[in-house]
Amino acid sequence: MANPVKDPLTGAETTGHVWDETLQEFNNPLPRWWLWTFYGTIIFAIVYWVMYPSWPVGNTFLKGVGNNITYKTDAGEEKSTHWNMRALLAHDMQNGAEAVKQKEYLGKVGAASYEQIAQDPDMSAFVRSYGVGMFGDNCAACHQSGAQGVVGQYPNLVDDDWLWGGDTKTIETTIRNGRLGYMPGFSNVLDDAQVTQVANYVLSLAGEPADKAAAAEGQKIFEGEGAGCYYCHTKEGKGMHAQGSANLTDKVWTIANVAGAETPEAKLAAVKAVVQKGVQRQMPAWAARLDDTEVKVLVAYLKQMSAGATAQ
Amino acid sequence: MAHSAALSSEQYNYDIVKKFAITSIFWGILGMIAGVYIASELAWPFLNLDIAQITFGRLRPLHTSGVIFGFGGNALFATSYYIVQRTCQTRLAGGTFWPTFTFWGWNLSVLIAGLLYLFGYTQGREYAEPVWFVDIAITVVWVVYFLIYTVTLVKRNQPHIYVANWFFMSFILATALLHIFNNLAVPVSLTSATSYSLFSGAQDAMTQWWYGHNAVGFFLTAAFLGMMYYFVPKQAGRPVYSYRLSIIHFWALSFMYMWVGTHHLHWTAIPDWTSTLAATFSILLLMPSWGGMINGIMTLSGAWDKLRTDPIMMFMITALSFYGMSTFEGPMMSLKSVNALSHYTDWTVGHVHSGALGWVAMISIASFYHMIPRLWNTTLYSLQLVYTHFFLATIGTVLYITALWVSGIGQGLMLRAFDEYGNLAYTFVETVAFMHGPLVARVVAGLFFLSGMLVMAYNIYMTIARAKQEEGVSAVAAAKA
Repeated sequence: MANPVKDPLTGAETTGHVWDETLQEFNNPLPRWWLWTFYGTIIFAIVYWVMYPSWPVGNTFLKGVGNNITYKTDAGEEKSTHWNMRALLAHDMQNGAEAVKQKEYLGKVGAASYEQIAQDPDMSAFVRSYGVGMFGDNCAACHQSGAQGVVGQYPNLVDDDWLWGGDTKTIETTIRNGRLGYMPGFSNVLDDAQVTQVANYVLSLAGEPADKAAAAEGQKIFEGEGAGCYYCHTKEGKGMHAQGSANLTDKVWTIANVAGAETPEAKLAAVKAVVQKGVQRQMPAWAARLDDTEVKVLVAYLKQMSAGATAQ
Repeated sequence: MAHSAALSSEQYNYDIVKKFAITSIFWGILGMIAGVYIASELAWPFLNLDIAQITFGRLRPLHTSGVIFGFGGNALFATSYYIVQRTCQTRLAGGTFWPTFTFWGWNLSVLIAGLLYLFGYTQGREYAEPVWFVDIAITVVWVVYFLIYTVTLVKRNQPHIYVANWFFMSFILATALLHIFNNLAVPVSLTSATSYSLFSGAQDAMTQWWYGHNAVGFFLTAAFLGMMYYFVPKQAGRPVYSYRLSIIHFWALSFMYMWVGTHHLHWTAIPDWTSTLAATFSILLLMPSWGGMINGIMTLSGAWDKLRTDPIMMFMITALSFYGMSTFEGPMMSLKSVNALSHYTDWTVGHVHSGALGWVAMISIASFYHMIPRLWNTTLYSLQLVYTHFFLATIGTVLYITALWVSGIGQGLMLRAFDEYGNLAYTFVETVAFMHGPLVARVVAGLFFLSGMLVMAYNIYMTIARAKQEEGVSAVAAAKA
């Protein structure tokens, strides 16, 4: 059976085995280039093993030579060790050109006041560059990448209208501790006619078209003890930062999409829905994730953004 | 030819091969439809339609199981049962019952697992998502498969075991090993689909990727090399290029693959030395992989003209070329420094598809075009349609991997770009927005490949329908005579 056959086309010999009528095999030698490249990969592997931690030996492993990493520990002492991922990260964060530059800026911004940052073009530019990344990776999922928010859900941060107060200290507190925004729903307290009256009054506060008679009735409810809207929104309807209650007179609508509604009926319906259902929303606390300098950069960045908005 | 084939159909168990082959094409189309749909969801997320069962997370394992175990698995059962019979010159062991048992066992397992994914039942282990009781069913089927295969080999009427069978044997053995150890788990209760893995932490991750990469190595590579070693020389009508090379690359491949899974876990919480070994064994795996490619492509020496005239041969050589390309790309990506860029990007997804579409699917398709007419003792309905399929598949594959190179390498570069203040130049969401264009191109690429499969289904359907018609005519003729 095993009679090698010479192939008339190439002159190569087969192994002499035949399967399934026609299947045969040549016994060509391994292609030289294939063999030498294979040896090459073996040499490559050995070099790699020498440079990096590789083979396990007993309870330890070959650490690699000629590839040591020197870095400073948290305690500040210099340490030289065999190549490993953690040391490499520490080294790069301490010595990488980009990391060093960033750290320098962060130190400068961390020590400066908000006024100093605003007045220094270089620091302002850094805040813009660092802030857009911080905001994009941490805040934009809700507040959107332009910080314009989503009406009905997430507040607009660039309109220079602040539910909880817009001074830098308060914004820092908001970011660190988060906020719970709450307004009770009034569907159990007010009947539909009364809700319509209150909604007309709220629209009239912002100078939106409203039924005068209904608004007058609504004002009574607003300022009365039954519903007690004024507890939070004040009798003037200007709201209170301490409560996070909205200013109803400034034409900035964060929950009811009055600005986006086209007809007076739609505006009324939008406000009515909020009065009936109330509001419940939460911003999480970021203190555990962001350090003081990062919070500061974010606040300075938001101030830049909203300053742009008021300038327009 | 017709004479010996008529004999073969009596000598061999072709019925089981037919069942698996047809089912494979069915799963291929189903799995690829799921693939195109989830690719569309990535480009246009609203396609979730807020239905939990069709969100990306539920459909994705249906796609991967559908194409790997449904399309690929059935193709391997079909071709291995065909090849082992023909190269051993003996009928498949186990009578008609046990091979049929593997058919229903395998397909019901894949089907039940797939339906359970849609309702959220999964082990959460990549490519090993089926819940524990389906895993047990698969194990039983696999043991029967192993016995059928080995007993057939033992009772062969040939002094030597043909090379294709070595590869199928290593595939069956390694898959058993991988499947059992990776799926060791304790069910919450006998009536619950939930189970907890025996492994935890870094060991769990390493077990998972030991399985995951060897699923690629033994299921999607060794087994399909077995397919290649039979159908390429058959279609070319030429002897295999080198017996020596086949031995060397077989053993090198079998030895090296087991080490490399950890390269999926570079730069994570695993020991550095495991990462180094995985990277180097991946590099060492390059030439053993290319041994298979060389042996396949060089088999055509003396018959190169077939590349002009035979679309099935075009499929085969293109498959081997993609095999060579992706087994070069893989070792490069497994180097620590390259992986730092490629990991967690679409480059990985593109790489696996250059192997899956370019190599696995194309060699299976070529094998079907060769095998199915012979099973039904006829010729293909239309060679022209095979050409059409070839171009649809090739354009689809090239477009797919190119789109994901752009998406993956682009995103990788954006994630590590700095501006003049030492800050990262892009937010994560900007890198996602960048990917939209390439992701749309990938949907188009998927549609190309899928439409090729539909052309194939039509061609195969017409081939079989015509064969049955002819059979009817000759039966009538025989009755008249």
